[in-house]
Amino acid sequence: MTPLLQITNLRASIDDREILKGIDLTVNPGEVHAIMGPNGSGKSTLASVLAGREDYTVTGGSVLFQGKELLELSPEERSREGLFLAFQYPVEIPGVSTANFVKTAVNEVRKHRGEEPLEPAAFLALMRERMALVEMDPSFLQRSLNEGFSGGEKKRNEIFQMAMLDPVVAVLDETDSGLDIDALRIVASGVNALRRPNNATVVITHYQRLLDHIVPDFVHVLWNGRIVRSGDKSLALELEQRGYDWLKQEASVEA
Amino acid sequence: MSQHALVELVQNLVPAHAGGDVSMGGHGRLSALRQDGLREFVRMGIPTTRHEEWKYTNVFPFIGLDYSYAPMRWDASSASAPAVVSAAEVRDALGQHISIRVLNGIVSVDAPQLPAGLEVIELTPELVESDAGVAAALSAGAPMHANPFVALNTALLESGIVIRLAKGLALELPIHVSIETTSGQQPMLVAPRILVIAHEGAEADIIQSHHASGPSIVLDATVVEFSVAAAANVRYHKIADDSESARSISSVTADVHRDASFTSHALSVGGRFVRNDLAVRLCEPSSQGFLYGVSLLAENEYTDNHTVVDHMLPHCHSEELYKGIYDGTSSGVFNGKIYVRPQAQKTTAYQSNHTLLLSPKAQVQAKPQLEIWADDVKCSHGATMGQVNDEAIFYFRSRGIDKDMAKALLTYAFITEVVEKITLDGLRELLTHRIARKLSAESLLF
Ligand SMILES: Nc1ncnc2c1ncn2[C@@H]1O[C@H](COP(=O)(O)OP(=O)(O)O)[C@@H](O)[C@H]1O
Ligand SMILES: [Mg+2]
Repeated sequence: MTPLLQITNLRASIDDREILKGIDLTVNPGEVHAIMGPNGSGKSTLASVLAGREDYTVTGGSVLFQGKELLELSPEERSREGLFLAFQYPVEIPGVSTANFVKTAVNEVRKHRGEEPLEPAAFLALMRERMALVEMDPSFLQRSLNEGFSGGEKKRNEIFQMAMLDPVVAVLDETDSGLDIDALRIVASGVNALRRPNNATVVITHYQRLLDHIVPDFVHVLWNGRIVRSGDKSLALELEQRGYDWLKQEASVEA
Repeated sequence: MSQHALVELVQNLVPAHAGGDVSMGGHGRLSALRQDGLREFVRMGIPTTRHEEWKYTNVFPFIGLDYSYAPMRWDASSASAPAVVSAAEVRDALGQHISIRVLNGIVSVDAPQLPAGLEVIELTPELVESDAGVAAALSAGAPMHANPFVALNTALLESGIVIRLAKGLALELPIHVSIETTSGQQPMLVAPRILVIAHEGAEADIIQSHHASGPSIVLDATVVEFSVAAAANVRYHKIADDSESARSISSVTADVHRDASFTSHALSVGGRFVRNDLAVRLCEPSSQGFLYGVSLLAENEYTDNHTVVDHMLPHCHSEELYKGIYDGTSSGVFNGKIYVRPQAQKTTAYQSNHTLLLSPKAQVQAKPQLEIWADDVKCSHGATMGQVNDEAIFYFRSRGIDKDMAKALLTYAFITEVVEKITLDGLRELLTHRIARKLSAESLLF
């Protein structure tokens, strides 16, 4: 079985400062991985490097996506191949409606797969159905993308886009931050509804509480640019109780 | 000082003033006005870039050409002149409308029957002599003493177009004035003059478009004057989407009276050289002015918007929003003056001007000038200049949309706010498509 995502000794820096210092991670079909870790440890950097943000320089290692070298692809090609990043801070785009944005994105992915663009009526129906997954009102379709959306609405919109693009691997960067308990439940059930045996989810989070809803098969702790510990879901509970300091100490002793 | 060729041309075209009343064989008011125009044009000469108002607007590359002049004439037989493609496009977009075409200076009115209360008539010496309203409106606004090209236009004013809306007439059909000029081997000068008089409570949409063709330069010095009476509502749209040969220098003024409203849309989606002077005078209480502008330029195109809003009396409101997008080596100017006179208490005046630079070689000069002499007012201005947001581009790319598409969509998004102000559906759609085409984003948007 080919892993969906195989990260080997990945190193990345920004402005000559190394942020990722050798990451190894393998994600197989059907799995949910959680990446936890204190602020500034490099979680968003990892997500950004996977998605192809050009501010970061990859200085070593490799990332295979369904067996293909991911790092050679442009961000748009990665997306079309089935990688999805739910942003920690979704960008507000005045003047571009959510509907038009999503339509353009979906049609680009379809084109890549050699499929015809969807008919407007079919498209609208699909959008409504997928919005319902995250309990988003269809009126958002006509609004400018993320403009004036509340924090929770932005995050739901990310999951709506994920539902429309139907990715192979979804990386959710702190999709839970800033959500109240109801919104958290909605977002989580949306993500769970999209789980299938042939896709996978990487959930980046600070808090155990999201993992009550999206139950991970593996939990990894990222600290100072390295995965310092991996375990099953009980590791998240342990972190919840003990914090990160004990791990930091262990990691620095090992280093 | 050696005489400039253009000054000489104009001098030769203006007959000496014989004085006396036209009906008595004399030359009357219009002739006297032309003399004033000529005198002012000779006095001011061709503006150099040392002139404050023409600092970035260099006319010298084309002003010294050997122009022939196409004077305005009225075509009695009317219509059915050969169509210039883009003018036809505007006509198609507008659907049913009243068409006034100026073909190499020849005016034809293409409407089998004008709606009751609407007059489209020739501006003649006789009319100026006999009609006090026309005489008063004519040159009441156009800054003949300050703008050399208004002086030039006035010096050449043999004939013009008067559009008059009777009291209370709410015109349903828009009026399209298309100025279509074809040059031959010699560069051509046209100087159309249009006077729009909206009587009390009248309402109308006017679209003006310029279309130059032919192998040589066409210099178009159009002057338009609006007189907007109490409670009238006039919406004016100037489309500049012209060919490589066009050089357009236009002056538009509007006098807006009590409770009346004047809206201008300066829509520049193409043109090698476009200079728009627009002055809106809110000359009675509770009048309103709305000034919108779109400049979408590429390659070596140039658009210069000089606007003035003059708050003369209390309780007037003005809103100004100009947005420009510049690619290639294009360049642009926005110069927006707002005057609030001492009497003009309770004024609200808002101006904003936003620029998006798509190329490192594009250049923009933006200069807001607010002169406020009243104390109980609300005025603001804001200006931004920037590039397409990289964060936004990455967001698009992470959703499978490539860089060029992302750029096109974001650029389009930047400008749509202003396009949306156009209330004529057909025209708005035309502009939307035109902009999408220019951004190579048609497949994305439609
Ligand atoms: N664009 C950037 N420019 C400079 N430093 C950055 C940038 N992005 C991240 N960093 C730095 O990299 C480190 C990791 O940040 P980040 O990946 O956002 O951590 P996390 O998501 O785990 O909180 C931090 O020290 C942060 O300051
Ligand atoms: Mg982060």
